[in-house]
Amino acid sequence: MSTLDRPSPANVGVTDPSGEVLQLFREHGGPIYRFCRSALRSTSDADDVVQETFLKLLQHLKAGGDRSNLRSWLFTVAANGCRDRARGRARWLPWSAESDRRIAPAHDERDDVRRAQAALHALGQRDRMLLSLRASGLSYREIAAASGIRETSVGRLLARAVDRWKRNL
Amino acid sequence: MTCLTDLEVHAVVDDQASEANREHVMTCAPCQRRVDERRHHMRNLTAAIDLLGEVPAELNDRVQHAIASGRAVRGSTVLRHTTSSSFWPRAGWISAAATAAVVAVVVFVVLPRFGAPTRLSASQVLERSLQTLATGTGVESLDYELTIDGVAGGPFRIKHLIDRSNPNHYRVASYGADGLLRSAISQDPARQQRIQVIQVDGRNYFVKVAGIREPVLSLPQMAQALVESIIRMMQATADPTLTLQDTPHGREYIVETPTVASHGAAATLDLYHARTVISAEDFRIHEFEGSGTLLRQPFSVSFKLLEQTVVGAAEANFSLEPGPDDVAIEGTPGEGPFEELLTAIVREAGRTGGR
Repeated sequence: MSTLDRPSPANVGVTDPSGEVLQLFREHGGPIYRFCRSALRSTSDADDVVQETFLKLLQHLKAGGDRSNLRSWLFTVAANGCRDRARGRARWLPWSAESDRRIAPAHDERDDVRRAQAALHALGQRDRMLLSLRASGLSYREIAAASGIRETSVGRLLARAVDRWKRNL
Repeated sequence: MTCLTDLEVHAVVDDQASEANREHVMTCAPCQRRVDERRHHMRNLTAAIDLLGEVPAELNDRVQHAIASGRAVRGSTVLRHTTSSSFWPRAGWISAAATAAVVAVVVFVVLPRFGAPTRLSASQVLERSLQTLATGTGVESLDYELTIDGVAGGPFRIKHLIDRSNPNHYRVASYGADGLLRSAISQDPARQQRIQVIQVDGRNYFVKVAGIREPVLSLPQMAQALVESIIRMMQATADPTLTLQDTPHGREYIVETPTVASHGAAATLDLYHARTVISAEDFRIHEFEGSGTLLRQPFSVSFKLLEQTVVGAAEANFSLEPGPDDVAIEGTPGEGPFEELLTAIVREAGRTGGR
């Protein structure tokens, strides 16, 4: 059973959940990190959002918050953090693909995957976020919760995002 | 049945399609090909995201430390250059800069007025600084480096002019690590005037407010109370250390409290760590850094004095004047600089229809 599926203990809010959050970070830090990296164009922003997400998880558990679906909770908090960061940057720093040298391709990756990554980063904020959430294995319901859009719209928006991504390949 | 739309094909790939559409794909070769193609794309997309890898060791250490300490930890890229910043954090920065700046005045100007000790403990050094908290006269010019956790673009270079005979008369200008002006604030009680400058996308915006009222306690006086509290807490710490060191700039005292972890209490002021560097020659504080919580909000701030001079009242220029390319806005008096700035900007945005 994953740590994220662990049922709520009776003494929530009494014990220090730091150890549990560390364990959750070890288990799920990778997917959250990859999501933030693909949703944001700035590596330093992505790093900050990862840290904030797990600090918020610590506060959430300390306050005896709901543990029924912490995986979805983590992605929701991370997505909100990414949106806030992207919104702040969009106001003052127009981004252009030509000027972005921050994500350098690895030397040994396949060409099609590299093209896929470049095409992903050329997409708009919402498309990147939706595709990243889907690629992280979230259901439409979880994507809706994390991205703040209606569940019934998720499929349509995802399909369009994929189409735009394909055109960028 | 007609062939599926792109949206329906995508729903099949995502396992969200209706039973009828799934059956259609089983019997329609073109739609099956479209589904296969889309699945291939989705696999590439997932691979592209997987290629971003695992959490780097540096971030891993940073997050683990943050979780253990319960508060945000700066990365090793503390001095990284961040060219962007949104308006609101920047507007908040003016308020933060003003507060930090007046704390610096207390640290650099007010605190160091104690006599040369022969043999003093750390606690005695701090007690002497408390006993000699008294403002002088004249105009002091301070040039110092300021780092505040959580504020991008730093460390900041601050140029500060303070009239020690009137703590409400001052001018502060802050410059980012790139050397560009970030913000400035000037206050003149005699003219009942306060001017704030905020720089956005290379353009300076001046907000001038006339008819300001002096607060019961000036910002420096409030800062002095805060620093007094910090020093009392440093004294109360079980084991503040006093070290004497010889440097190229002369002999220095270092008073430092051991670092303690947050105990989760909801104290108004909680100090995790504080460190001061004091010149053994004139007993001025040259460096000060402290971290803790104030009103339950974590803070971490450090100052490093670069230059301190006394200037003649006649040559002291407290004013801030807009240039030909700057935008000047007339504001109205409020409860403080931040409220005045916010109100002025919102009114201006409303007047111009948000354009």
